[in-house]
Amino acid sequence: MTPETVQTIIDDLGALLLFTMILIIAARQISNAIHAVAAQSLLIAIAGAVLATATGNADLWVIAGVTLTIKAIVLPWVLHWVVRRLNVRREIEPVIAISATLALAVVVVVMSFHLSASLGTVRQAITGNALPVGIALTLLGVLVMATRKTALTQMVGLFASENGIFFTAMAVTQGMPFIIEIGVILDVILAALVMTIMVLRVRSTVDADIADLDRLRG
Amino acid sequence: MAETLLWVLPLVPTVTALLMLTTRDRRILSAIDVGSSAVLFALTLVLAREVATGGPQALGVLRVDDLGLVFLLLLVVLTLAVSIYTVGWLRQAVEVGNMKAESLRSYFALVHAFVATMVVTVLADNLGVLWIAMEGTTITSAVLIGYHGHQHGLEAAWKYIIVTTIGISFGLFGTVLVYAAATDVMGGAGAMSWSAIMKVAPTLDPGIIRIGFIFVMVGYGTKAGLAPMHLWLPDAHSQAPTPVSTLLSGILIKCALLAIIRFQTIAAAACGPAFPAEVLLVFGLTSVVVATPFILVQQNIKRLLGYHSIEHVGIVALGLGFGGSVGTYGALLHVVNHGITKALAFFAAGTAIARYGSRDMHVIRGLFAVAPIGATLLMLAALSLAGMAPFSIFMSELMVLRAGIGHGHWVAIAIFLAMVVVIFAGLLHHVGAMVFGEPTAAAGREAEAWSPLLGMLLLAAIMVLLGLTIPASFDGILQRATEVVVG
Repeated sequence: MTPETVQTIIDDLGALLLFTMILIIAARQISNAIHAVAAQSLLIAIAGAVLATATGNADLWVIAGVTLTIKAIVLPWVLHWVVRRLNVRREIEPVIAISATLALAVVVVVMSFHLSASLGTVRQAITGNALPVGIALTLLGVLVMATRKTALTQMVGLFASENGIFFTAMAVTQGMPFIIEIGVILDVILAALVMTIMVLRVRSTVDADIADLDRLRG
Repeated sequence: MAETLLWVLPLVPTVTALLMLTTRDRRILSAIDVGSSAVLFALTLVLAREVATGGPQALGVLRVDDLGLVFLLLLVVLTLAVSIYTVGWLRQAVEVGNMKAESLRSYFALVHAFVATMVVTVLADNLGVLWIAMEGTTITSAVLIGYHGHQHGLEAAWKYIIVTTIGISFGLFGTVLVYAAATDVMGGAGAMSWSAIMKVAPTLDPGIIRIGFIFVMVGYGTKAGLAPMHLWLPDAHSQAPTPVSTLLSGILIKCALLAIIRFQTIAAAACGPAFPAEVLLVFGLTSVVVATPFILVQQNIKRLLGYHSIEHVGIVALGLGFGGSVGTYGALLHVVNHGITKALAFFAAGTAIARYGSRDMHVIRGLFAVAPIGATLLMLAALSLAGMAPFSIFMSELMVLRAGIGHGHWVAIAIFLAMVVVIFAGLLHHVGAMVFGEPTAAAGREAEAWSPLLGMLLLAAIMVLLGLTIPASFDGILQRATEVVVG
């Protein structure tokens, strides 16, 4: 593959990633948001495979494989399992209206592109538009976490945020050190595990969503 | 020899954590706890001597220089004090049912896993390893914060894990950007190593480093408890078991500050020192201002101490922001002083809470009449925290002020001084009411346990010593650490 082809593919994948992010923000059912984040992780895995073929960096194959198994299959499956197990509220309760969040999201995307357009030559160190897309995904993930009151949606936002970082990290032309990427994935898995246990524990003791508790103030 | 020590240090708490899982006996667990912390302390002293004679030591992704040593020394001293304190605290907590006797081993295992991850954040030279260890501290300590298992603890733990995980994903993004800038100059190999990046730092692209530093500042700033990302801190500090609150406030937020300092040095070399200094000043001032009203109206003593930590990380950020050797030296000294003093305050508050069975400062009254030594130590800690001369915090705050005046940051100085005066009055009012007067009916009359007192006296001795004089060897470490930052 020529560098131009790779760049085009990465840019197209970036556009699709932003689209899945919009789906996550617009989702009214938790299960839809989980499907969207799984699709997003799948796109990240494809991006990894494309970059692995293009650069001949074998580590990227492993990372793409791990992303596919863990983030596109196992974690979404765990989230679905928790939704079924809790079986109480499937509706997402936004703190501010979904349409307002979408408008904010547009602003964030435009700002991210504007910000990275202002950067100089270093943009060559990162393939195509991976930098603005990565910044936008990271910030939008945080937006989801901040504007949703259910624990599971907050976890979805967290995974989307991590996806943004991964996308940029993969696209750094030299590739990230392998051991670091694996360490980061391991941390994400552990964090998800601990969060899931907390959600179930609170549900079993007080029958409330952990993210909805608000006794600690002042 | 010294290089191997770099790997042995994080291994000690890791092996201890596994060892803890083999027994259920509280006495044996406590003995292993104290023993392991003492070993960690002794090994660090050996390492400190090696660094003093042979300069920075590095092996693989780990490295220790004088800057890291300042934080490492604070870490091992506080870990030892916490272990000693835990012996007596735990006996009492098990008796009243706050801690379940059958799950103690997982508590100790988690504490040591937490310590191990913090040791790695201090020793990490590779910025990726630094991030991984930092997320490791979040995971281990989140479980510890919710350890009591009641609803409030879990609420605090959830808020903590969500806020800090979002926070440090920003930190990871910043790290990736710095790495991208470094690969552009030096290629992929070693472009994550802080010491390697520092060699080429002046040639890095300033635009991307600027964005990277802001991401890192927000990211690790969340973990450090800087406002406005501090939302997790008061809840976590107030809900965690007292020894864990001490580790959070005394060490963990300092580890995040060290990470910020590492990136500050890179940013200062790439974009000039003025840019990171301004960012640090903004976050530092915001923290000091935001913490003040909450300190005044607080009723829960552990929340009070939590908000107070926000003020003090703000002061450290101000010192780093004012910069120069005086400001940086003052900031590093303040890290140590605040760590020691705040640990003492949490210990004293923890024993008072155990005695009265409440965290409400309206219930804790007349402590001096029922526990004179503990009350005296609480008063000493509060006086020092408030910034009273000749205690150690006064000395480092004075240095930060001098640096600010020297660089002509008059507005920042004015706001800082006003807040410090208000907090001084507020804190002494709160603690004065707790210590003096008639004890309430809730006060327990039992004798003071020896082990918490021993832990507190150890810290109080260091606090008083650092106020009167800084030992020459420690002064040398601080001087060389300042050179690492200022260059």
